[in-house]
Amino acid sequence: MSVPAIAVSNLVKTFGETTVLHGIDLIIEPGQVSCLIGPSGSGKSTLLRCMAFLEEATRGTIAINGEVLGFTEDSQGRRERISAAANRAIRAQIGMVFQQFNLWPHMTALGNVSEALKTVHKMSRKAAEDAAMAQLVKVGLEARAGHYPSQLSGGQQQRVAIARALALKPKIMLFDEPTSSLDPELTGEVLNVMRDLAAEGMTMVVVSHEIGFAATVGQQIIFLDHGKVLFTGPPQEVFKKPRNPRLEQFLDTYLDRGASMLL
Amino acid sequence: MTFDINVIIGQWPAIVSGAGVTIMIWILGTIAAAIIGFLMAVARQYGGMLVDKALGAIVAVLRGTPFLIQIFLVYYGGPFVGLDLDPLPAGLIGISIYGAAYFSEIFRSGFQAVPKGHIEAGECVGLTRGQIVWRILLPEMTMLVLPPSVNMVVILMKETAVLSIITVPELTATLSAIGSQQYAFVEALSALALFYWVLVEVTGWLGNLAETKLSRFRFFNA
Amino acid sequence: MSIKLFELLLQASIYTVTISVVSILIGFAIAILLSGMLLSGRGLFVRPAQIFISFFRGVPLLVQLLLIYNLLPGIGINVPSIVAAIIGLSLCTAAYQAENLRGGFASVPLGLVESAEMVGLTPRQTFRRIKVPIALRLTFPALVNEAILILKASSLVSVVGIVELTRMAQDLAGSTFLPLQLFASAGLIYLVINWLVALAGGLIESRLPGVPR
Repeated sequence: MSVPAIAVSNLVKTFGETTVLHGIDLIIEPGQVSCLIGPSGSGKSTLLRCMAFLEEATRGTIAINGEVLGFTEDSQGRRERISAAANRAIRAQIGMVFQQFNLWPHMTALGNVSEALKTVHKMSRKAAEDAAMAQLVKVGLEARAGHYPSQLSGGQQQRVAIARALALKPKIMLFDEPTSSLDPELTGEVLNVMRDLAAEGMTMVVVSHEIGFAATVGQQIIFLDHGKVLFTGPPQEVFKKPRNPRLEQFLDTYLDRGASMLL
Repeated sequence: MTFDINVIIGQWPAIVSGAGVTIMIWILGTIAAAIIGFLMAVARQYGGMLVDKALGAIVAVLRGTPFLIQIFLVYYGGPFVGLDLDPLPAGLIGISIYGAAYFSEIFRSGFQAVPKGHIEAGECVGLTRGQIVWRILLPEMTMLVLPPSVNMVVILMKETAVLSIITVPELTATLSAIGSQQYAFVEALSALALFYWVLVEVTGWLGNLAETKLSRFRFFNA
Repeated sequence: MSIKLFELLLQASIYTVTISVVSILIGFAIAILLSGMLLSGRGLFVRPAQIFISFFRGVPLLVQLLLIYNLLPGIGINVPSIVAAIIGLSLCTAAYQAENLRGGFASVPLGLVESAEMVGLTPRQTFRRIKVPIALRLTFPALVNEAILILKASSLVSVVGIVELTRMAQDLAGSTFLPLQLFASAGLIYLVINWLVALAGGLIESRLPGVPR
């Protein structure tokens, strides 16, 4: 029995008075492409950010390839913080792509991708830049290596962001609404990169409104509503009719955005 | 070195008078500056390109030269163009004009920062020009111009100290004189610094209060 | 007004520029120290820094200059008045620059820090490689602004006897009875210097790669 890439157990997240996640249980298998879908405000991004430990869960645990991230919790609910160094080691297995790209504006594309290789992994400048260049070739942007983010289109910036995450050879890639900030004609180039990555067997968790992508590339669809997992399953199961009424209601808004194959 | 505050306290009538002059110039000057600045901003916004450019040049000069030079021009240069003024009126005029230049920029930014869409929405639902200005433009502007205006009020208060150089009998002049007469510079200047410091902190605090109270007019998250 | 007088003004303006530049640089160094104290999060450092900044922003520069000029001899430090003037200006600009830096650091978009976290940079590395360069770029316009303010504020050191541009204009006006021409000329020189600084600032800013949108 293989260790799950990500195991989320009874995850609860509150912000002050508001509870955003009501006890989430999830398994993400290695090599699996999971798509988190659901209405705005359902907690999808929060759940993803908890997996990345960018948000600290209020209760529950997250295990990355068997190792608990952030806080351990015993049967009585007592939580103990894991050391920052240990956390960093566990998170090294995760790469994250943000909705706002978050490229560092004072560095070129090559600089962005090679930064962690130089600073964290202490690679020589040449070695780091060679490795970074290989990633830029992979996402089709070797010609833009010397450009600054302000000189790149949204789609190009996001692809650089993907290259930056991949340069660290993660085992898991998290995508937080990767195409939501892009003009429609630019989403294709990013989705193609993600498609290729999935075909290579990368474990991916994608929060996205691109239902078409989820239906065709996704292997596990997770439907989140009001902070609870309503159901999960392979696309054929989840999208086949007769559908859950909440899902039907949700999909109604997306049929004209590439998900017409679901009709 | 001894520190004897009683030397200063003994002179309290003069000090109160000096403080009074400071505050009077501050309040009158600020109000005059705000009014003139507002009128200038309106003129630049709605008065056509020539007016805009001309006033723009004047504002650039007033903001690009030291306040002290402007004061000297008014006080020492004034008589040569028929403007023979006592220190106090000269100081008041100086503060008003200097402040007006900065206020005009603040109000001008405020005008331009109110989204055109809000004005257009008003026109679409049939509001008259006057109603749009009174019920949409000015309230939204108020929120936008409040922080820089509070800042300006503080700046003008501190600039009143410069007027001591042309012998306006405000607090800096008064306490400096006391300090030299009583050989108690450190005590006098410390008291002086304390006065301004407290006044600035209080004004800033009031400004924050006003900002919080009026924040319901905010249409964006700052 | 004769050319000779204008020349004298120009010569004095060299003092103005020199005093201003030295004060800005010293002030910047002090501001970095203050920012470090503010960012450290430790009460021992944060409170004194806050008090310093509050004092030097709350008290008029003129009063600060008079205080330092009269205070230093009182505690046994005898320095030439130009040094006292530079100390006064430096401390004042340090407080404002520290506030500007604080604003710059606060404006660094959180996402850029998060992405640094996710690629494995330690907090210290993130500070050095990401926050500092971006904060400095964000602070740059305020820095140029502050330079212009100091150039104008330097006119006040005339009261502690430094013969910079304003003092020269004053002295000449006293002896030639041409205050209008002299102060207007001095004003013009200030205008040109400030305009050049703004121009240079704009040029440098356009060359700096990437201010975050």
